[in-house]
Amino acid sequence: MDDTATRAIGLGVVVAYAALIGWLYARQPQTLAQVTGGLSAIAGAYTVDEQAFSDGLRFFRNDQFVEARLSLARADPAVRDARTQFYIAYSYYRQGWGRMYHDDRLYAEGLAAIDRAIALAPGGRLVVNDPGLGMQSAEEVKAELEAGRRLEASDFNPMRVFTSRK
Amino acid sequence: MTVAREAIVLPSLFLTVLLLGGLRIADTTMLVPPSPYVLLIGVLLVRVVVRSGALAPGQVLAAARPTLANLNGAALIATLWLGGAQTLALLIPESGVPRLVFSVFFLVLLLSTAAASPDRERLVRSLAVTFGAAYVLKFVVLHGLSAPDASAFKRVLLELVDAATAGALIQDVPHPITAYIALLTVALYLVGVFLLPHHERRSREALPETFLRTLPPA
Repeated sequence: MDDTATRAIGLGVVVAYAALIGWLYARQPQTLAQVTGGLSAIAGAYTVDEQAFSDGLRFFRNDQFVEARLSLARADPAVRDARTQFYIAYSYYRQGWGRMYHDDRLYAEGLAAIDRAIALAPGGRLVVNDPGLGMQSAEEVKAELEAGRRLEASDFNPMRVFTSRK
Repeated sequence: MTVAREAIVLPSLFLTVLLLGGLRIADTTMLVPPSPYVLLIGVLLVRVVVRSGALAPGQVLAAARPTLANLNGAALIATLWLGGAQTLALLIPESGVPRLVFSVFFLVLLLSTAAASPDRERLVRSLAVTFGAAYVLKFVVLHGLSAPDASAFKRVLLELVDAATAGALIQDVPHPITAYIALLTVALYLVGVFLLPHHERRSREALPETFLRTLPPA
């Protein structure tokens, strides 16, 4: 190989390696799956595990939220799929919802998940056409989770026991 | 100095230093970029490396070289700077008084090394000793002192030290593997500095006889 080719390859390697490091600093992946999934998403080759996603939806519809999240996490190990993150956020909402009070910790996890979903959705717009859901857009879920974490006068309204979970 | 070493091996090695040096493994894994302060003292480190002859800038950046070769040279110098800054950031403790002391120590040390103008061999030796000492102080002494321990005596001693220093000495202790990665990072950086295209400083014996006569006796 002549010197010019070696130099050109070297420059390409350095630029690609530096870009990878910049991406890692920006994304802060926590697992190897997140690294590989993120890189495949950049190349447009990332797909969720459909079987695990179906399992997650089945658990979600049976109100088995912990099991649903485990399956959904398996379906999207790199945390790159907006729809999966939407369902994870929704599972936190449904599990944390209560007639008397809402679970702040679960709602906080839900908020983090819905923020991830919004960040991953093209243009930040995410609508899931699922007739079983009371809220089909990410904005509705986010607003509901935020409202649930706020302490307001309406929280002391005894009529709230008649409200229903969405 | 081969072309592959200049264009591929050394920049990749310094980028690896940049990547590994930023790794902080605890409950969550974080990649910490070098702070503006260490980037500044990183410039000083590059200057010291150039002044000592450990890097001959003329061999990697020159008007006579082709554009592509100069781009490789520029990439090498940029990655040397970033790798050096990240190595310093890695060796500076994360918080409290030790962070301040180490930050000032590295600045003073680099200024004094620049003033002493050592040759390449002495610079590499000096960097190895300094970085080795800083590594031992941070990863062995400070982390050993800060590590939670099962024994009641150690816990009491730790609380006393923490109270006496107003929490300024005790550090957050990362996962033990961080120390091994740090050691590898420092070693890689030193190997990289050693492999840079360098000037050989001429020894007294190699100088012409006529010039030697003008020098004071050794």
